[in-house]
Amino acid sequence: MDSLNKLWLSTGLANFEQGQVIMMIVGCLLLYLAIARKFEPLLLLPMGFGAILTNIPGAGFSEVGGFLYYIYHGGIETGIFPLIIFMGVGAMTDFGALIANPKTLFLGAAAQLGIFATLFGAIALNAVPGIEFTLKDASAIAIIGGADGPTAIFLATKLAPELLGAIAVAAYSYMALVPIIQPPIMRALTTEDERKIEMAQLRPVAKIEKVVFPLGVLLMTIFFLPTATPLVGMFCLGNLMRECGVVDRLSATAQNELINITTIFLGLGVGSKLSADAFLNVETLGILALGAVAFSIGTASGVLMAKGMNKICKEKVNPLIGAAGVSAVPMAARVANKVGLEANPHNFLLMHAMGPNVAGVLGSAVAAGILLALVG
Amino acid sequence: MEHLNQLFVEAGTLMLAGMIFVFTFLGLMIIFINVVLTRLAVKFPDKVIQTKPARSKQKTTQKIDGISPQMVAAITSAVTQYRKQHNQNLSINKTK
Repeated sequence: MDSLNKLWLSTGLANFEQGQVIMMIVGCLLLYLAIARKFEPLLLLPMGFGAILTNIPGAGFSEVGGFLYYIYHGGIETGIFPLIIFMGVGAMTDFGALIANPKTLFLGAAAQLGIFATLFGAIALNAVPGIEFTLKDASAIAIIGGADGPTAIFLATKLAPELLGAIAVAAYSYMALVPIIQPPIMRALTTEDERKIEMAQLRPVAKIEKVVFPLGVLLMTIFFLPTATPLVGMFCLGNLMRECGVVDRLSATAQNELINITTIFLGLGVGSKLSADAFLNVETLGILALGAVAFSIGTASGVLMAKGMNKICKEKVNPLIGAAGVSAVPMAARVANKVGLEANPHNFLLMHAMGPNVAGVLGSAVAAGILLALVG
Repeated sequence: MEHLNQLFVEAGTLMLAGMIFVFTFLGLMIIFINVVLTRLAVKFPDKVIQTKPARSKQKTTQKIDGISPQMVAAITSAVTQYRKQHNQNLSINKTK
């Protein structure tokens, strides 16, 4: 009888706490979003599964000695996983569209307003009882507006590790929701005629330009913003491997096997931070709300910047590509292309939108560097 | 409340400094592209690989059974257009 009782006490059923059950349901919800709705499945699936594993009573996945404990502390807390992902993203990125039309960098810069404006929102939420965000917390939350998962995770681990789970969930959820969040804002801020603007064909970009570009970006970051060099440096390394043409094997590994393996561990590690005490609070709701605000402001400021540029520059820019200034590569560029095609079925904006899109990646990495330098 | 106000001031300063820096940094990048990269592209243009004209291309320029390729292209496009219109009419009739 005694051993039966002991066996019962070792079961999950006897040890479940309410918070753990709720977090397992949250994990299942993430799995549902990944599998059924195809929302960022590459990350939400391991993240949802990680959330289930970490909340199993008695299994000790996230306790000292547990599998997820080492994944988190070895790969995420140290910043290794987000940086490897960034290298892979660099290896996948073609800067051709940006080099051919460099003024789109301003669209990527404008869209970063989403990050800095959300800082205000996060601080304002301190007026709500139960929420207390420091400037570090607010900065980590604000980076969601950069629409860049690895950057958000990197900055959150440095500034507010206790908020990492909520920030990562918000960042990836909203990135998946880009096709739903952006179009209404883009349509509201542009006229039919503006959406019809056809842009001049991009000039061909020489190989030497593509090879020297990542080195130039790195050099500038070293000179002006060394705190951003972990992100920008790894990004540039990946891009250089892609463009130099002599290490195709390394480039292929960085953009396939390596990024895939790291994504599994990154997802599991972030999922391990989805514990009841860290996630089930008013602050998480605040972070989710702020994430939507950050995306919307970023989209709007990119579109408005493009409209402003049209008033100054001779060569017209379709303001829809301004919305691609929030990173979310290549989803945001696809959205700009789709909304453009609705207005003018012969107007393909995809390549033009890739310029501000990759500029947004650089912009959010620079913004993260600024936040680290000023707040970290 | 005073603490909150102070946080707002700090957030405002951060926003201003951050946006100015982002614009300056990416603006410098524009200068870098326009000044350095475009000059490099002129100095070291991509090597143009000379390829022999493909045989299939030669074939298409030759007359097929005495009909020039331009004529074939014109007939093909006319047939496609006719079929499109015809199909549209059919589908309109069906919906009616």
